[in-house]
Amino acid sequence: MQKLREPRVLVPLLLLLLLALFPVLLPDSTYEESVIIACFLLAIMASGWNLISGLAGYVSLGHSVYLGIGMYTGAILSKAWGIEPMYLMPLGGIFAAIVAIGVGAIVLRSRSHAFVIITIAVLWSMQLLAQVAKPITGGADGIVVPPPPWAKEFGNIPYYYMFFTVLLLTILLAWFVMNSRLGAGLVAIRNDEGKAASIGINTTLYKITAYALSAIPFGVAGVLYGQYLSFVNPIGAFGILTSVILVLAALVGGRGTLWGPVIGGFIIAFANEFATVSAGGVSARVLIMGIVLILVVMFLPAGLLPTISAAIKRRREKGDTVKFIDQTAIANSSTEVDTSAIKARARKSGTDTDNILEVKDIVKTFGGVRAVDGVSLTVERGTITGLIGPNGSGKTTLFNCMTGTFTPTSGSVLLDGENITKDRVWTRAHEGLGRTFQITRLFKSMTVLDNLVAPLEQTSAKQMVAGRYSGEEVDRAREILDFMGLAQFEKQNAAALSFGQQKLVELAQVLMLRPSIILLDEPASGINPTLIEKLANVIRRLNEAGTTVLIVEHNIPLVLSLCSKVHVLAAGQVLTSGTPEEIRNDPLVIEAYLGPDHLLEAPSV
Amino acid sequence: MQIVQVLAYGILLGGIYALLASGVTLIFGVLDVVNVAQGAFLVFSALFTWQIWDMFGMEPLLLIPVMGAMMGIIGWAIYRGMLIRVAPQGPGMTVLLMFGVALTMEGILNLAFGNKFKSVTPAYFTESLKLGEIVLPYPQLISGVLAIVVLGAIYAYLRFSWAGRALRASSQNRDGAALVGISHKKAAGFAFAIGAATAGVGGVLLAIMYPIFPATHYEWIARLLGVVVLGGFGSIPGAIIAALLLGTMESFASTFVPQWAPLFFYGTILLILVFRPQGIMGSKTREDVA
Repeated sequence: MQKLREPRVLVPLLLLLLLALFPVLLPDSTYEESVIIACFLLAIMASGWNLISGLAGYVSLGHSVYLGIGMYTGAILSKAWGIEPMYLMPLGGIFAAIVAIGVGAIVLRSRSHAFVIITIAVLWSMQLLAQVAKPITGGADGIVVPPPPWAKEFGNIPYYYMFFTVLLLTILLAWFVMNSRLGAGLVAIRNDEGKAASIGINTTLYKITAYALSAIPFGVAGVLYGQYLSFVNPIGAFGILTSVILVLAALVGGRGTLWGPVIGGFIIAFANEFATVSAGGVSARVLIMGIVLILVVMFLPAGLLPTISAAIKRRREKGDTVKFIDQTAIANSSTEVDTSAIKARARKSGTDTDNILEVKDIVKTFGGVRAVDGVSLTVERGTITGLIGPNGSGKTTLFNCMTGTFTPTSGSVLLDGENITKDRVWTRAHEGLGRTFQITRLFKSMTVLDNLVAPLEQTSAKQMVAGRYSGEEVDRAREILDFMGLAQFEKQNAAALSFGQQKLVELAQVLMLRPSIILLDEPASGINPTLIEKLANVIRRLNEAGTTVLIVEHNIPLVLSLCSKVHVLAAGQVLTSGTPEEIRNDPLVIEAYLGPDHLLEAPSV
Repeated sequence: MQIVQVLAYGILLGGIYALLASGVTLIFGVLDVVNVAQGAFLVFSALFTWQIWDMFGMEPLLLIPVMGAMMGIIGWAIYRGMLIRVAPQGPGMTVLLMFGVALTMEGILNLAFGNKFKSVTPAYFTESLKLGEIVLPYPQLISGVLAIVVLGAIYAYLRFSWAGRALRASSQNRDGAALVGISHKKAAGFAFAIGAATAGVGGVLLAIMYPIFPATHYEWIARLLGVVVLGGFGSIPGAIIAALLLGTMESFASTFVPQWAPLFFYGTILLILVFRPQGIMGSKTREDVA
């Protein structure tokens, strides 16, 4: 219970307690209660929005559509079934989630800006639908919702506690998501979606789940809100101004944080109330909200809460010196640790092909350019295989076809004898194919340890709800960091590391997938010779522990010293394949690289 | 014959959509910004056109170059004054900034013009061109043809001029273009100005076709962005194809099921996105060296 004394836990709890006691402490304050109810509603919406737009970074500008869906669910069904609207609150949440899944399934599959636009269009379409579908929705006239069942003397107090309860549940939902694997995955998606997919995160599923979860509080609160207003019509239910205000609330408080949207909800609801009372009609409010939105985006983009906590952190850390980190120590760190953590996954039963990876007749064209022109090659199990070739020979394109970034124009890719040509990037990661990037793509706002626990070996509901640091992953992550000599960087932000160190962390990240084969994209480019040696060491030890490695590299001496077999590409085709000795003396290779009349220097490593 | 009339009407409507959407898609292509304020620019220009027409009774079509230039300058100022600062924070924040701009403009227009419908009604407003059985109202005909002409001029300019090549270079590879002497800031400011100018021109054309009031900008931006999504982000030919498709679609729907016409519009977009998530002409780009 020590944790309770910390201000960042204690302060919000005390404030919530105060809100819970407000109607008891100050009875007969109907107006104040109605203002706080508006705060609750806005805080609920801002927290819900935060799940998709704050955590995953997909901005929704029409999110109030789910409030409207809740309002109409309550109004229509309570009339049809003759029951109290508020009993329909769970159903409102379910309907909102169903619509969100439908919309998400269309626009969240790919990484694009279509999402933000379709959210506006969906809000707009729903308003039109509510106007047109007269027999069900009452058209533009709307539907009158019956008054609440309690006696008049209670006034708004029951509503007050019901909205308060929904807010608490929403905060709980947000807390749960943020501390789960799902939340970590969403933050990874916000940082770098392509990379997230490459380490086994099913980005489509994650985004749709977040979108559906973010709609639920809206649907639940909408049912209640419809009854509170006692009237539902298309303009009121599907107005864009509500969407604007809730986005503003989340932004002002601090998107991506737990309490930011709640605080922002209170601030903006008070401001909105003030504007309505003192500045008059809707026109003035639109103008004020517009100006505030511009100012916040320009001058307070992170929001109040993160800005304040960063300032406090800076003050506390004043005087702390930056620790000197001995680079050579990293390079020379003992590699004499237990290798159980880096053992590859056991070979799949039933597959006993000798070729772990095989590509057949791969062709990839870009417009008229045949970047890869009918390449077939194999990677034998347990080897370190090299793929070299001059610039523009199609190495990286071929590599991207293997990892799923590109779908080849024709031809097939086989992993363990199974055709994976059409598999999504994350499925390949689950099947044991790991990759690194030529220019590192770590999640820069996350710590090294967070980067390492982000990869997922499979997609399952159980895993999504598991705690962020739960399971054996954390232990394994630490073992791998130890093995790489990176243990001291565990709590550093990935962005703080040098490029070479980032390359090692990225490799460590891939190892968390327990890949049976790792594809390394120019691992030695842009890092210093000491680290290259260290890297070569790591690759050899990985290979000894049972991992097959395919390496694309320009550093020919490194490739020739590491690999047992080398494929040479030129002009989109396989020029030749063979042992390093054969490649070194092959005149064709020398000619492809240097033109005729040149001799390749003897390797020095 | 009715079919031909509806089709002609659809193509004219599509031409206007194409002009308006090409501005949005050009801005996106060069700046990576989803300009949700384009609808507000449009309404801004339309209401100013109304104001000048109302005061002086002049031919509204003569205002096309004036409004185009004015919105171009406003667009450039918005880019230099605000967008340039927010751009490094990525598309999520710039879309919110432009949303703020849209709301601010709506608020200003509300205060200046009131929340009432305004229509520009020159003499030819109620007249139609009759070709046998086909009847084409002059406002629609003039607007549609002018939109197609202006769009053609912009397209030719982007295609054949040095500045147009510079813009395309900067949209394809910002750093590469910078290496050969094309300043991204200048290219982006220019692109934003042209994009906003299309809204200036479009506003005049809309003013003689439809009654306008400030809050109609939501409806317009929803449509324009729908066209852009369907065409594939950043692709002007895609936007043109999508605009013609949706214009025709809407023309047919409003003839046969008038109440449901707007829903047909969005329904078509969602349906096509089910099969082509990247839009008609959108493409996936290389992302391994982000």
